[in-house]
Amino acid sequence: MSVYMPTTVDQAVALLAQNPGACLLTGGTDTMVEVNFNHLKPGTVIGLRLVSSLREYTITPQLIQIGAGVPYARMETGPLAEALPALAAAARTVGSPQIRAAGTLGGNLGTCSPAGDGLPVLAALDAVVNLRSPRGIRGVPFQDFMVGVKRNSRVSDELIESVSIAPTSGYQDYAKVGVRNAMVISVASVCLVHDRHTASVRVALGAVGPTIIRAREAEAWLATQVDASTSLPPDEAVAIEFARRVAAEARPIDDHRSTADYRRHAIQTLTRRLYLRSTK
Amino acid sequence: MAGSILGNRVIRKEDPKFLTTGGEYVDDLLGEPLLAGAAHVTYVRSTVAHGRIIGIDASDALSAPGVIAVYTAADLELQAMPATFNPGAKRTLLASDKVRFVGEPVAAVVTETREQGEDAAEMVVVDYDMLPVLVDMEEAMTSSTIIFEECGSNVVFDSTALGMPDNTGDALFEGCEVVVKGRFINQRVAPCPLEVRGSAVAWVDGRLYQWLSTQHAQGAKDGIMATLGLSADQLRVITPDVGGGFGAKIGVYPEESLLGMMSKKLGRPLRWRETRSESMLGMGHGRGQIQYVTIGGNRDGKVLAYQMHVLQDCGAWVDMGTILAPFMTRPMSSAVYAFPKVECRTTSIVTNTTPTTAYRGAGRPEATAAAERAMDMFALEIGKDPADVRRMNLIPKFLDKHTTVIGQTYDVGDYETALDKVLAAADYKSLRAEQAKRRASGDVKQLGVGVSIYVEITGGVPPMGETAKIEVQENGRAIVYTGTSPHGQGHATSWSMIASEQTGIPMDMIDLVWGDTDLVPVGGGTMGSRSLQQGGAAVNLASIELVDQAKKLAARLLEANEADIELDRDRGVFHVSGTPAIAKSWADLATAAKGDGGLSQESRFTAEGASFPFGAHVAVVEVDTETGKVRHLRHVALDDAGRVLNPLLLEGQIHGGVAQGTAQALLEEVRYDSDGNPITSNLADYAFISAAELPSFEVVHMETPTYLNPLGAKGIGESGTIGSTPAVQSAVVDAVSHLGVKHIDMPATSERVWAAIMSAKS
Repeated sequence: MSVYMPTTVDQAVALLAQNPGACLLTGGTDTMVEVNFNHLKPGTVIGLRLVSSLREYTITPQLIQIGAGVPYARMETGPLAEALPALAAAARTVGSPQIRAAGTLGGNLGTCSPAGDGLPVLAALDAVVNLRSPRGIRGVPFQDFMVGVKRNSRVSDELIESVSIAPTSGYQDYAKVGVRNAMVISVASVCLVHDRHTASVRVALGAVGPTIIRAREAEAWLATQVDASTSLPPDEAVAIEFARRVAAEARPIDDHRSTADYRRHAIQTLTRRLYLRSTK
Repeated sequence: MAGSILGNRVIRKEDPKFLTTGGEYVDDLLGEPLLAGAAHVTYVRSTVAHGRIIGIDASDALSAPGVIAVYTAADLELQAMPATFNPGAKRTLLASDKVRFVGEPVAAVVTETREQGEDAAEMVVVDYDMLPVLVDMEEAMTSSTIIFEECGSNVVFDSTALGMPDNTGDALFEGCEVVVKGRFINQRVAPCPLEVRGSAVAWVDGRLYQWLSTQHAQGAKDGIMATLGLSADQLRVITPDVGGGFGAKIGVYPEESLLGMMSKKLGRPLRWRETRSESMLGMGHGRGQIQYVTIGGNRDGKVLAYQMHVLQDCGAWVDMGTILAPFMTRPMSSAVYAFPKVECRTTSIVTNTTPTTAYRGAGRPEATAAAERAMDMFALEIGKDPADVRRMNLIPKFLDKHTTVIGQTYDVGDYETALDKVLAAADYKSLRAEQAKRRASGDVKQLGVGVSIYVEITGGVPPMGETAKIEVQENGRAIVYTGTSPHGQGHATSWSMIASEQTGIPMDMIDLVWGDTDLVPVGGGTMGSRSLQQGGAAVNLASIELVDQAKKLAARLLEANEADIELDRDRGVFHVSGTPAIAKSWADLATAAKGDGGLSQESRFTAEGASFPFGAHVAVVEVDTETGKVRHLRHVALDDAGRVLNPLLLEGQIHGGVAQGTAQALLEEVRYDSDGNPITSNLADYAFISAAELPSFEVVHMETPTYLNPLGAKGIGESGTIGSTPAVQSAVVDAVSHLGVKHIDMPATSERVWAAIMSAKS
């Protein structure tokens, strides 16, 4: 096995071009599990921990850019948490403090598990994934990035460099159901983002389908019921119907963690609660 | 004279090591010269739950890097050995004809490094002819597929076959105004000690040295001797630090017994340590009962009859789990109650799952859970407060032997006081008022209050006693040799407290030796909450007899009458009454005794019987009626373990016990799919509890000493687990009982609670 430890993005991209199919490693919180179970036998590993630019983020009124190597621990508090409370909420539910110190958004994007806690937030925020290759930078909207269970549209010589998010104005939060309070894989999760600028309420669902699901039909229905350019009305009937419609867009399955019925019910309950909280 | 150290909150003398350099577990024995150059063993485990072995092809593995040998049952000429509790069940330590559960060892790979072993084990190809898989006990009872053919049935042990009376059915409940029936699942759980199983072996001049992560070195020695055909002087078992056992490290496993055999063949020391994922499959599981319970009585709350039929899941071997139902659950089926009529039958059944064994409480938590669930259902049916109904039916206070209706004799009990104290500490009335308020307002978050009262057996496993030796060195230090086997319980602290109390030798001058069969040939190990009442009592006795011996010696040295010799415990010296200035220290005496074989005393304490600690717990939970999520808000635990030696250690046991008991009530469950594949074989999928799910525990003290030992001590190691599980389960049901829910099986996961609410609504 060859292990490369580049220190700049250019070096990393060049190494990736020379070693197509190399395993890109940041926190290793998903990758090492796969390696331990012999599901993944990487021939070449490109470790990204020394690429300092990947561990940076910038926040401007126009754009929030988060390096792929920023660990979840740095999203829990501080400027990123203030700018993106839903991401902070999701980050706090990831694993344990040790896992959050190691795990990164870029790693979650690379693995693309439907239960990845950061992903519904990126979906609801309409984040753009920036991929670097020798051909330059390609920005891919999240909805086009994740294409299936643990599958994404990154091609083998592309490096996930960062995500770009347009700041929103309004309530945003993330809620999750799991079997215990920490160290747990999501059974169902919901991210709700209200944005007055674009007059939209966006909802994304985790762990209830092969990909993160944006509840676009429910969002469209809500747009006919409320004026999202201002405060949302604390209307219980709207909340219930909206939640019912969101849950209808989930595509959950029965597995050893939960049943489809409970997952759909959890989505409905979490959505109703998030909507009502957003009106306060 | 300073006061007694006994009963004080003495901090653990073990902890500086654990908190700084850490313990030395079996996997840490890197500097042990006898293990120099040790190779590593990795077991190839069955990937199917039930199948006939057609062939094992190790050729690829044998040519893999670092592989020294691959052994099958045939290579080691293993003979099928009968199970202790049903000789019809036979197996070879590596599966030869059949595999019976996923995880059963089929072959062993010996490699230079552990990592090479993991890779090579995957290259051993085992061909199976698949057989029908029996995961469910009740299906196994009637199936034509027989897991151990020579048994003729999958029912391998039944209490009626032992001559215990059968249940008489509904006839028992004639004359009852109210009869309630329930089917309760006391689910299979995994003990999950943080240190998984491990061992290392070396042959030295025809003698086997085996380091083993165990709760009972002397018992392990007997087991390994029998398997390998060794005599007692050919085997030494040594226990390094052990990172938890919870009952699952009492016995010897095939993976451990085989090491000496392979090491002898290869002429090399060997090490084996399983991974967590292997441990979830190979280490024994606990609980695993289905209980059919009927309770009947009058509308005023008086119970007239109680009946239970327990189905015990043995898993795929007739191991210790098999006999817990008849010998631990059944005797405790009267629980704390003066029910006039009690019947209990137990039936143990093999299935294609991991064998079951003792796990913290081992049969008694199951008895308590059944009785407490039945009392709740009875109280709910007659519309009375569950604490009041319990009180009406308790066995009145007794301070001498009391024999219950099922036929078990308890030592002492004062259940009503325990109930009163715990209800007062919890402020039970206010909790009920708060609950009523939330029910009236239709709050989404409903409050549930669970009460449990329990009694259990401790120190009930033969041999009913323990040996201790105390040896004084010329430097004045003492070494205590104990047959118990601490792995978290704090015996180094407790036994030094006892020895220091009697001898006046300071605690920090007393060292503890255990778990090495050369140094401590006789011992009962640590299990069944026996250690203090038997092992501690033995240390107490040896210390007293040592002082007598020392007085004789001091009398000779001081040229005085033995009757005039006093031990000044504050100074740790002997002198003639009235002349404290002329004294002989322990060091003086040990030096003087050097020529006479030294100053040491070995004594055996024999217990007259088991003790029966009791207690009462109140759990308070909040249930989100929309999601089913349970929050454990408060837990008030009263565990009466008799006279308390060290409240700090007592509370530690209670805290750990309550956490583990709550885990069973709310989270943990070993599950299999219908093909017998384990689906909870790591700590992500198996919902091992964490601090984030638990409240701060409230401990209420009560001491009803037993007369069975001079310390007045009863067991405490398992009590917290026994009292907490039914209290928490009951609290969850209580939170939603007004919605029509009568019972929720454990673990009360969000999904299960939600489903119960939904089904009650429809």
